[in-house]
Amino acid sequence: MSCLIKAQQLNKFFGSNHALCDVDFEIERGGPVALVGPNGAGKTTLFSILCGYLKPSSGSVTVFGAQPASHKNLSRLSALPQDAQLDPRFAIAQQLTFYAQLQGFSKREAHIEAERTLELVGLSEVLKEKPGSLSHGMRKRVTIAQALIGAPEIVMLDEATAGLDPKHAREVRELVASLSTDITFILSSHDLSELERLCDQVLYLEQGHLQEHQSLNAEDNLNFFTLRMEQQQPDLIAALSSLKQVNSVINSQDKEYQISVQTLSGEQPVDIEILKLCYQNKWRYRQLINGRTLENQLFNDND
Amino acid sequence: MLWQFSMHRVWCLAKFELVRLFLTKSGVMALLAFVTTWFLILYYPVNSAVDFIYSAMFKDVAKQVFGAFGLASLLKWQVPELAMYWLIAIYSFPMFALIIASDQTCSDRIRGTLRFISLRATRAEIIYGRFLGQLIINATLIAITLIAAVLIASLRDSSLFVPGAKKAGELFIELFIVVLPFIALMAFFNCFAKSSKQALVFTVLFFGILPLAIGFVGYSFSFVSQLNYLFPGMQIDQAINPKQFSYAIYAIPVIQMSAYLLLAHLLMKRSSL
Repeated sequence: MSCLIKAQQLNKFFGSNHALCDVDFEIERGGPVALVGPNGAGKTTLFSILCGYLKPSSGSVTVFGAQPASHKNLSRLSALPQDAQLDPRFAIAQQLTFYAQLQGFSKREAHIEAERTLELVGLSEVLKEKPGSLSHGMRKRVTIAQALIGAPEIVMLDEATAGLDPKHAREVRELVASLSTDITFILSSHDLSELERLCDQVLYLEQGHLQEHQSLNAEDNLNFFTLRMEQQQPDLIAALSSLKQVNSVINSQDKEYQISVQTLSGEQPVDIEILKLCYQNKWRYRQLINGRTLENQLFNDND
Repeated sequence: MLWQFSMHRVWCLAKFELVRLFLTKSGVMALLAFVTTWFLILYYPVNSAVDFIYSAMFKDVAKQVFGAFGLASLLKWQVPELAMYWLIAIYSFPMFALIIASDQTCSDRIRGTLRFISLRATRAEIIYGRFLGQLIINATLIAITLIAAVLIASLRDSSLFVPGAKKAGELFIELFIVVLPFIALMAFFNCFAKSSKQALVFTVLFFGILPLAIGFVGYSFSFVSQLNYLFPGMQIDQAINPKQFSYAIYAIPVIQMSAYLLLAHLLMKRSSL
């Protein structure tokens, strides 16, 4: 695996506000990476530093082994920065064609590339429109399209699905999933279930500190199940705890149980035992998830 | 750094500036205002220049007025329309340049559009590309007005076309050099102004207050008066009269342009987007 991004002792101050505190992490080529954290945690600041929009106050960060704003990274890293808008005076086609030309496409190729990326986000029909005539969600999808021009190796999407209707949010998720074999996406979002579905790796920022830096497929996650029920069941914890392979059960949130397990040889698989228990007690379950949800990993562990 | 420079990207950025002026509604409106202003200038003062300069009634008055300003040699120009054009253009084109070039990067920076561009072009390329675009725009506008002035003279007397075209070529170079530092100054102000209006306010304060301050302090400390070299156009009074030719007329604006562009480049490199 090759290292795409490496941050060491990264600090950023805005006056007396310490937005990033000694942040260390590495991102390798591969599946999408989630950047999670509450509002004001420093996610957008970290995004801006990685894109070269901001300079860190101290520490070092490299993207493809070079400084983030280096000419070596041009067109290799692209982004959907939060709140950045296209120029309202130009048609979408003009702007995307211009960006493609900056990336080295000829005028004709650039126009084809603009059409291709707009098609990816389902907006072929707005080619001749100006940004002002589009809805917020459509403008967002156009800016996602600009991030996909050419063949970027890293695409950073800051709140890409915020403000999109469920149908188009799902389309964007599907797009990210389909392109993630060639592109390493770094996604920031408040929708943890979305990130859970897409991402292999999580960076959790809180008050400028990197709290978690882990893979969602980590070994320890294999020793957990998450059971979501139709209704809250008062006897469920006791019943599950009585199973030989279950270590502990916690009611992680309403109608949701996090089950810690150990696999014993010669026993039935634990998930089969859990489902049998539900069947015998006529408890209707909604979902049985292998491992812990991202939300539980981030918040229940930090409580 | 020069080795990071892609002329392809600089040219793309410059071309997009032309699109911005010639193919957007706001750009066309600005162009229309420019054309109207120059139509009035060419129709009235320039077109009537001959009557004014050669009429028996005004000849002596013109000599006295132009002589008082050391501009008597302008009366000897073969194409008087161009003499009048020159007098007006050398003072008005810097102002036009400031207005036209007042939004090189500021609105894109505030809107966030520069973030999209900076992932595809270095900040130096953005500064120099936009500057080049503005240069081409100003050069085009100067050329159009000069062609119109020569045509007006040729309509009066067709034998003036050749000497007029030759003189217009010389004036084009002179005017082009005059506007260089004004556009560069705007590139510099654009690095911290939040809008083109604010950039113009900075310009008014720069040309309005700073000379007063320099004059006031220079009264006690003479070396401070060297700061007058900060002001684009400080050589215009010299440049207007060809008799007072010196290489400084060309060197000063070129050095000022280089200095302001370098400052803009450094500022842009350090600033947050």
